[in-house]
Amino acid sequence: MIWRRAQYEVAGRVAFPMLTALEGWQRRLKGSRRRPGGGPFGPPLESVGKLKELMSHHYFQGRYADGAVPVAWVSSGFPVEILRAAGFHTVYPENHAALCGVSRLTPEYSDVAEARGYSRDLCSYVRTDLGSLLSGKTPVGRLPRPQLLACCTNICQTVLYWYRELARHLDVPLVLVDTPFVHGAASPHQLAYVEEQLEELCLVAGRVSGRGLDAGRLAEVTRTAQEGSRLWGECLAASRARPAPWTGIDGFFHIAPIVTLRGSEACNDYYRLLRDELNDRVARGVGGLKEERHRLLWDNLPVWFAVRRFSTLLAERGFNFVSTSYTNAWAEAGVGIDPSDPVGSAARTYTHIILNQDLPNRHGILRRLSRDYGVDGAILHSDRSCKPYSIGQVDLRERLAAELGIRVLLLEADHNDPRSWAAEPGENRLAAFMEGFE
Amino acid sequence: MRSEEIRTQRERHGRKAVAVLPIHYPKALLTGLDLLAVELWGPPGPPRGDQAGRIQAYVCAVVRNALAFLAGGHADAVDGVLFPHTCDSLQQLATLATDLGGWKKPAFTFLHPRGPDRPSARRFLEAELRRLAGTLEALAGRPLTDERLAAALALHAEVDAARAALLEARARLPMDDTRLYALLRRGEWRWPADHLIELRAALATLADRPVQRGLPILVTGYVPEPAALLGTLNQAGAYLAADDYAAVGRRVVRAAPAPSADPWKTLVDLHFAAPPCPTRAADTAPRMAHLAGLAERSGARGVLVHVQKFCEPELFDVPVIRETFAARGLPVLVLEGELEGTLSGQAVTRLEAFVELLGAAGRAA
Amino acid sequence: MTAAASGGAGGAGGVGGGAAIGVDVGSTSCKVVLVDGAGRLLASLLEPTHPRTEEQTGRLVAALRAEAGAELPVGATGYGRKRVVAARVLTEITCHARGAHALAGGGGLLVDMGGQDTKVIAIGPGGEVTDFSMNDKCAAGTGRFLEVILARLQVPLAEVAATAARAGAPVTVSSTCTVFAESEVISLVAEGRPVEGIVRGLHVALASRVAALARGRLGAGPVLLSGGVALNVAMVTALAEALGRPVQVLPGPQLVGALGAALSVLPRPAGS
Repeated sequence: MIWRRAQYEVAGRVAFPMLTALEGWQRRLKGSRRRPGGGPFGPPLESVGKLKELMSHHYFQGRYADGAVPVAWVSSGFPVEILRAAGFHTVYPENHAALCGVSRLTPEYSDVAEARGYSRDLCSYVRTDLGSLLSGKTPVGRLPRPQLLACCTNICQTVLYWYRELARHLDVPLVLVDTPFVHGAASPHQLAYVEEQLEELCLVAGRVSGRGLDAGRLAEVTRTAQEGSRLWGECLAASRARPAPWTGIDGFFHIAPIVTLRGSEACNDYYRLLRDELNDRVARGVGGLKEERHRLLWDNLPVWFAVRRFSTLLAERGFNFVSTSYTNAWAEAGVGIDPSDPVGSAARTYTHIILNQDLPNRHGILRRLSRDYGVDGAILHSDRSCKPYSIGQVDLRERLAAELGIRVLLLEADHNDPRSWAAEPGENRLAAFMEGFE
Repeated sequence: MRSEEIRTQRERHGRKAVAVLPIHYPKALLTGLDLLAVELWGPPGPPRGDQAGRIQAYVCAVVRNALAFLAGGHADAVDGVLFPHTCDSLQQLATLATDLGGWKKPAFTFLHPRGPDRPSARRFLEAELRRLAGTLEALAGRPLTDERLAAALALHAEVDAARAALLEARARLPMDDTRLYALLRRGEWRWPADHLIELRAALATLADRPVQRGLPILVTGYVPEPAALLGTLNQAGAYLAADDYAAVGRRVVRAAPAPSADPWKTLVDLHFAAPPCPTRAADTAPRMAHLAGLAERSGARGVLVHVQKFCEPELFDVPVIRETFAARGLPVLVLEGELEGTLSGQAVTRLEAFVELLGAAGRAA
Repeated sequence: MTAAASGGAGGAGGVGGGAAIGVDVGSTSCKVVLVDGAGRLLASLLEPTHPRTEEQTGRLVAALRAEAGAELPVGATGYGRKRVVAARVLTEITCHARGAHALAGGGGLLVDMGGQDTKVIAIGPGGEVTDFSMNDKCAAGTGRFLEVILARLQVPLAEVAATAARAGAPVTVSSTCTVFAESEVISLVAEGRPVEGIVRGLHVALASRVAALARGRLGAGPVLLSGGVALNVAMVTALAEALGRPVQVLPGPQLVGALGAALSVLPRPAGS
């Protein structure tokens, strides 16, 4: 245990910084491959290097986490502050699956899951993750084995089945936080139910980690997480400026810290750096695109395997996503948590995640983002793998177009599986949509 | 038949009707308030009207058909609709149809706790049941007294006991699957007291010894649609000896808890005593134990997993069902449907081939 | 209508009462075979399926009965099986298993790739089906997938194998949905990618889809291939690569179901 802990600390404090330095040195030797200012994009963000470092550090240190510190695998909408306060190293299977998606590994991993009987109609994150687990393959070297699985139904009911399968394959206990769906406003008994579960979670987390749960530490982590959400919100809000200082696609990648490192100082340090850079770009009139001609809103998860392709196609014609309901969700939710009442405020906040609320609320958010960010078009990603996020989009499309007088495209794709994406007709629809603005 | 029942109940007894979407809901609350529950499982067949286009084609037919049905005015005979939180898709339908168009009459929601039987879940469930009762009282125009609720619970306990007895004694029941399931499924819309009479009439025909000669099969899945599936199985030489259809056996409490003096507590107890269902986040271990128990008691020789395309709660359990029964040497057939009106040639071939497989395995043994 | 007879009338002359006839009415072709008392294939007829199944199968059965000179019993299978006048009617799953078992001399995993569906059947040592799966309501993973897209590329079916063999590396075709793949292929051609490489890529994509059906059911026995697609050497190669196992093409791959149907009505089934 002590030896393992030492490895974990060394990996985080010594080995990883050395590797990063080495990589930087090699890059300098080879000469920078990135052509500054190439293509339709503005100058690259300086912070990106730090982001890569931060996330690589997280995954690198994770390789040595099991046996050293308690490890939990967690769903993205989970009240992670409690786990973090109990000393858990957290791994986000959704983030890991997205990483695999970007690298187009989903078909290979999904095949493994499908051969075990998992239907291709199940969420592609799940198929990617279970395929990775069952085959032992991952692009991050190694994922630490968890002592605890933790999922919350506020993003979908799918996570519940997903984590139940993880629990079965890994033979590890699962804590479930059930957040009943909100029609209009959450009822008192609904919030009381969630709060009671969080109280139970505090006990379980303290027991499994063997470190107990210190109230002062929980308040501290909550404060940090709240601050992190606020900082992330400030980064996003920078795009209200014209031109937006970064692209929406940048946002998809920069979301990683608020999802996976929420409640840590490293996350907040990073977003301060990013926010300052973005505000500096705004002051200097530097855009994410060289020429920003149209501003778009994106709804639903990214199409991870085609993110770069989409951004290039759009950027070539001067289109930028200046706001996305997906990245916004992490800015909006977290600010509601309150260090003076960590459990009660978490119950309220995590029950009111966008996907746990009715369609009028979703509609309101999309309308507000459209106005706040001055968009003249929207793309609603109809995501085969995410039913809760996608059902209702046909109606939302019509309403947004009629109410705001903007062009709205419903784009059929999938967040992780390129086999569900008809590249040719899809890109044609995207091109026709853009031509409509001219 | 359904619309006739709705009319009869209204004219003769002054009862209003509430359409109910799948799967689990506290029916005794409705009965206690003199409200007729009329369940809406799709309905099967092609969607009636073009409103299904408001939901993407990668969403299950249950949800798409239901929207088309409600928005097309086909459910206008009822006075309200109850949407239980069953899955992500049905939950979204609840807000889509009521908030963005499709259903204008009163709508009710029922959020059941997902996960294990824990004190917080019991407290939430009771509060949620009382909230639902309150909204239903407004529609019924009468209060739900504890006495009325207790009486409704007693009636439903008898209905459940009769249904459980029929299912458990399937082999001794001289009735083919088509007739049996038509009877059981009338419980989805008949007034419970009237349904009880026909259940008891069927129970009276039970023989002393097994009369079913076909190969016994355990079925698990969503709903026995298209109904032609039953006839096809029977003709091929098999019958459904044990049932875990969400619409049928999975809602029959086998070991009913002793009624409590507090009817609300009884309702909560019943929720947790029901067979394990993935839509309520049942753990796989108790669910597999339940299915294995059904297979053992019925002597099932094979397992039919009859799922709806895109139905995540059911599809997620397919691998563990395969593993469970492979370990017991029982062949498993996974049949995927989309609430078709008729059984496809491919489906017929699969069912017949499965029965041939079971027959051959039986001869070899 | 052309009838292709593989066995001569002379060979079938003295089959006597121990022989049998098998009929497989598929969605695209209708196959009728004659076997002797030991289950050996003596003659076969193959025609495109006619909408009037009763008439067509009646005529073909009569032709083989005339050849055999006896009123032999008939076993029927295939989608149109219930419209055949037959002593025994069985699904194509069971019949393919029996036919394959007789031809291979044992069990294994049979992949049957027909025009409209693909079946994977696990066959036990006695020729019994132990498990099976079929592709669902979708042309992906069937012969139809290749047919549609090859027509787009204007590659005649007869030249497919040679075309694929000429290819260097396969061009990746990521969609296995026929509709998606068709448009993907059009764009690959527009990009100037070699047709040979695309054809090979299509086979790789299709093989991976079929392998996904088969993978969970691979046992120790051989992998057998039947159905019209088995005549396509490029597909055999691609499937063997996808499964990482040699694939044995059964003789007369289109007749396996009809053979199994005939065996099912033999007085003493071969191999029992």
